[in-house]
Amino acid sequence: MACRRILLTVALAGCALLGGAARAQSSAPAGVENPQLAWQHWTLNCQGCHRPDATGSAGTTPSLAGTAAKFLWVPGGREYLVRVPGVATSALSNADLAEVLNWLLWRFDADNLPSNFQPFTAAEIGGLRARPLRLEASQMRADLLSKAAGSARP
Amino acid sequence: MFSVLGGLLAGAAALPLLPVARAQERATDGGADPNSGEPAPLNSGNPQDPGDPSKCDYWRYCAIDGSLCSCYGGTVNSCPPGTEMSPITWIGTCRNPADQRSYIISYNDCCGGVAWGRCQCQNNQGDRPVVRPQNNNEVTWCFGIQSQTYTCTVSVILGVALEQK
Repeated sequence: MACRRILLTVALAGCALLGGAARAQSSAPAGVENPQLAWQHWTLNCQGCHRPDATGSAGTTPSLAGTAAKFLWVPGGREYLVRVPGVATSALSNADLAEVLNWLLWRFDADNLPSNFQPFTAAEIGGLRARPLRLEASQMRADLLSKAAGSARP
Repeated sequence: MFSVLGGLLAGAAALPLLPVARAQERATDGGADPNSGEPAPLNSGNPQDPGDPSKCDYWRYCAIDGSLCSCYGGTVNSCPPGTEMSPITWIGTCRNPADQRSYIISYNDCCGGVAWGRCQCQNNQGDRPVVRPQNNNEVTWCFGIQSQTYTCTVSVILGVALEQK
């Protein structure tokens, strides 16, 4: 069978929040029952686009490293993290998505996590992912990060 | 580039950990290739990594969709001369017939060379529709590098997958 390859530049924009390297973990972060499983879900669903160190690629895949937790500093940012296409349309269950999000925030951006951070739950993920962002995601990201740049970590 | 190097190192580090004794038992008791169902030949030179990396039924190719780099002057985990490995990849899992464990495998595209279209291999385990591009192996994953001209695909082991309950 002929192999049909698709050049899909735009599609990668929807591959948000999912690149990574496992590292030794002394204790599980809040909202992560099984760090090894969270790493595996990250690797199979996110790392391909976001790279093992979550730095992404300019023009196609946003960086999460040193950035992802800053969304939690401003109104609407927490919702954005779930509604972004790569998360909302992921094949992962609500519970697995909550665990991956909690894990990646700790793994790739722990320094920016708000001190009062409440882990994502499966129920919260289920409600937010029902309203996925589309093309507006890119502008929303820019706006939220701009606001975060003028804010202090809660 | 560092991420790709990290992946290669992870792949290189994973295989020596495989249980040799179990691998040899499987080879003699008819351990079958997961794709073809045929007994896996031990012609890779490593009993823990059975099969022929130049053939489509090699175990690491269970989720591949593309041309085999081992057929283009590269290897199972290195690009042919004159091409560049994309750091943006499709990642899946395949079961190693030597130890019956699943491995996480990164299917990095090598780009920038001549696309002859030979040695095509389409197995597609775990492939999802293109509406989920992060889980689709038909996408040409030539991103983060200079060329978007697809040449072939390598199969790099990233780690051992957790056993499903």
